[in-house]
Amino acid sequence: MDSFAESTDDVLVAAAATGDESAFEQLFERHRRQVARIGGRFFAQREQIEEIIQDSFTKAYFALNTYHGTHAASFKAWLAQITVNCCYDHLRRARRRPEQGIDDLEEGGSQEFAAWLRSHPPDVETRLISRDLASKLLSRLSADDRLVLTLLDVEGFSVAEIAEVTNWSISKVKVRAHRARAHLRRVLQRYV
Amino acid sequence: MFKTNSQRNEELDRIGKLVLRSAAAQEEDTEAAASSPFLFTRVRAAIAAEQRLQEEAGSWLSMILVARRAVPAMALVATLAAILTVWSAGPAPAQGDEEALFGMPDAGVEQTVLASRGLSRDDVFNIVVDRTYEVKGK
Repeated sequence: MDSFAESTDDVLVAAAATGDESAFEQLFERHRRQVARIGGRFFAQREQIEEIIQDSFTKAYFALNTYHGTHAASFKAWLAQITVNCCYDHLRRARRRPEQGIDDLEEGGSQEFAAWLRSHPPDVETRLISRDLASKLLSRLSADDRLVLTLLDVEGFSVAEIAEVTNWSISKVKVRAHRARAHLRRVLQRYV
Repeated sequence: MFKTNSQRNEELDRIGKLVLRSAAAQEEDTEAAASSPFLFTRVRAAIAAEQRLQEEAGSWLSMILVARRAVPAMALVATLAAILTVWSAGPAPAQGDEEALFGMPDAGVEQTVLASRGLSRDDVFNIVVDRTYEVKGK
């Protein structure tokens, strides 16, 4: 693996595409943190993030032949695109079999959220609500809504960047973001 | 006292952002996931499993493709076989009762022997019947 330490991503991709496992391992070492960071924007559990890393690199391995690097950051961008799509697939799967029922939120969650809002006015942005409660609230959004809002508000992507990553048109991203925000407002409105 | 719609929406959007950020993993969690031991081994195992699946799917696909290519040849063979069957089962040439009695018509050696002795088939038949009677008489 050391023989590839100084190589560029494009050289590593070319070697990995011909079956060189150490080249692929070097790519993994270089980019696993970036993939984990993107996965961490959507999923809080360590196991879920590990699954995202595993799936993203597996998909990337089989798609190496479709990668045509043109500049230094392109592999990173290409891998980010694969990772976001992986997260989207996981969100959709999680939505098909929701582990946390909406009733959970109706019972204790709504009181917890209302108490948090009373004690921490919304302008105090440093204070976060419990991760579990946030996940329950967001489980009411569709995978598309969750994806676009997370990329806009947490990851700080521009509309154009989201369009590139998701392969959606810019107008679709705008419409989806508008609807997603309206949907999230409706979810939160009940507690505020 | 009453907030306008836009003020309320802004407030909800701020809370929404907080909720979204709260649902994200903390830095230490993502770092722990990225540095998880045997993660690359798991990736390698997932790749190997996927390759196996693709190979299995590929072998089925190639079998179907070969079978598809073989269809015209098999159809040709079947057509030929059908033609031969129909042709061989066609109307047989008329055969006499004697031939039915003596078995195979035109048995080459028999015909040669009978012809060389000047015996007709009736003569042969009579000889055989007489001999049978003689044997029974004894």
